[in-house]
Amino acid sequence: MFGLNSRKDPFLKRPFCYFRKKRNTIDILYRVVGKVTTLMTGLRAGDTAEVMGPLGNCYPVEGVEGRKPIVLAGGVGIASVYPLLGALVGKAHLFYGGRTARDLLLTGELESLSSGLTLATEDGSAGFRGTAVDAVRAHLKGRDKRDFILYACGPNGMLKAASALGVDGYIASEEKMACGIGVCLGCAVRTPAGYKRACKDGPVFPIGEVLFD
Amino acid sequence: MTDRGLQVRLGKLKLKNPVLTASGTAGYGEELAEFFDLSKLGAMVMKGISLQPWQGNPAPRITETPCGMINSIGLQNVGLDVFLREKLPFVRQWDVPVIANILGTDANEYIRLAAELDEAGVEAIELNVSCPNIKKGGISFGRDINSFSRLVAAVRRKVKNAALIVKLTPDAPVDVFARAAGESGADAVSLINTIPALAIDINTRRPLIKNVIGGLSGPAVKPIAVRMVYQASRAVKIPVIGMGGISCGADAIEFMLAGATAVAVGSAIFRDPMAPLKVIEEIGAYMKGRGIKSVSGITGAMAGR
Ligand SMILES: Cc1cc2nc3c(=O)[nH]c(=O)nc-3n(C[C@H](O)[C@H](O)[C@H](O)COP(=O)(O)OP(=O)(O)OC[C@H]3O[C@@H](n4cnc5c(N)ncnc54)[C@H](O)[C@@H]3O)c2cc1C
Ligand SMILES: Cc1cc2nc3c(=O)[nH]c(=O)nc-3n(C[C@H](O)[C@H](O)[C@H](O)COP(=O)(O)O)c2cc1C
Ligand code: FES
Repeated sequence: MFGLNSRKDPFLKRPFCYFRKKRNTIDILYRVVGKVTTLMTGLRAGDTAEVMGPLGNCYPVEGVEGRKPIVLAGGVGIASVYPLLGALVGKAHLFYGGRTARDLLLTGELESLSSGLTLATEDGSAGFRGTAVDAVRAHLKGRDKRDFILYACGPNGMLKAASALGVDGYIASEEKMACGIGVCLGCAVRTPAGYKRACKDGPVFPIGEVLFD
Repeated sequence: MTDRGLQVRLGKLKLKNPVLTASGTAGYGEELAEFFDLSKLGAMVMKGISLQPWQGNPAPRITETPCGMINSIGLQNVGLDVFLREKLPFVRQWDVPVIANILGTDANEYIRLAAELDEAGVEAIELNVSCPNIKKGGISFGRDINSFSRLVAAVRRKVKNAALIVKLTPDAPVDVFARAAGESGADAVSLINTIPALAIDINTRRPLIKNVIGGLSGPAVKPIAVRMVYQASRAVKIPVIGMGGISCGADAIEFMLAGATAVAVGSAIFRDPMAPLKVIEEIGAYMKGRGIKSVSGITGAMAGR
């Protein structure tokens, strides 16, 4: 959770992933969408901000067991799966989607971190024309889905489509959060066992556990 | 100022300092215990509980608004049995008074909840008759003076040991309801609960909360809350617990000057889990800086009226 805490407005902290963690620094990769992310663009070296974390769980990599990992990232979801590519020691095939070629970042570096990189853009300006989920579906065609394990992070629509691919794996929820520590119950994710908290019980959930509308 | 200078009383309940958590913003203490020693709190007010577990409302349940937020959690809670079996024993590890916040869909549910919690030994019971986020019960008691008075009196008859606190809605005249609570046997009143509110995304034209209307909290509501605490405290002799947008010691002092005996820190915990402790420290520093020996000396001490 990241906040500019000297103020009463913006009031709440915002959830971000640890994109890259070095010895004394944490990099955050963010998309400018509103209040806090706009203010972040104005930060200068030496300015202070409050960071609370790490919070929540991680993608489990123990379950791979001979299966071929597919990593699926939509937009800024790439920040979440970036450390995962490292944990999977270059064995994952990355499917990375955005609206246009301009939305796809760091593609050179991502290529070196994965066994294969498939880009997808809705306007066809780079790679596969369509969504990254469509690209995964095309990749799986004629193959046994049981040979794969899927890790996905992106907008809710993408997670819903990814959950319907029929491949085992995990998705990282991007629910809105107020506290990030499990006290507000704001980040509700619907599961067969009732609502769970994306911040404390997640954000990573097994595919099938999150019920979409 | 000594530590004793921070002590306050809510009826027969003695607190080591006047700072509580606000119900629904601190869970049942499990998460905050990872951040600080819960025994530092004046009291731990638990997330609202009902007889049966409640699912809560669909997402999105929260949205930020200028200097605050709107929520519609819908009283998602574990229900009385799990509360008594798991949650209450957990906070009992700390030397901190426990205030159980309860919510029923009818008077019988309130009475049963209160009786069982009193039996279980909680130090106080806070009747939530002011939640804007559920369909039945709750706020309907908070808005109708006759059913409100009957409910408070009926619960009072069942509660033998615990202090009885009634949490008022800002959606009704607080002086009238505070007075009725006192006359019906409450030991204290608390206010304010969240203020019914709406925010709309102008691009999608959808409400930013799935349930459309939610409750506003945070610094945005503070001046309204301070005014209501002032009005309520002038209408009653019993202590008033003030809340609504408190995020620092200065906010808390303002509530006390307006008439609050104790205060609760709510949404500010979301921004900073340590907020309640900071408020306690800053109240102490204010007193020290001005040679104030007892925090109760601040209550109702607004000058010039
Ligand atoms: C676990 C988790 C990890 C995240 N990691 C990253 C990350 O690494 N990099 C990154 O850029 N973003 C990430 N996000 C999303 C990020 O938290 C939001 O973009 C941020 O809160 C927006 O803040 P703001 O003040 O700029 O926007 P606001 O002013 O709060 O909102 C602007 C607009 O963005 C929408 N919005 C706000 N929060 C979200 C959200 N969570 N999902 C979708 N739309 C939202 C609002 O509805 C509104 O339309 C993550 C979210 C979660 C839950
Ligand atoms: C997410 C959330 C959940 C809440 N749940 C409850 C509850 O269960 N019972 C209750 O009496 N009040 C509940 N409240 C109201 C708070 O206890 C408090 O009255 C209100 O938020 C004003 O204080 P604040 O501005 O410091 O948050 C809740 C508030 C929030 C923001
Ligand atoms: S963000 Fe508060 S419980 Fe998850």
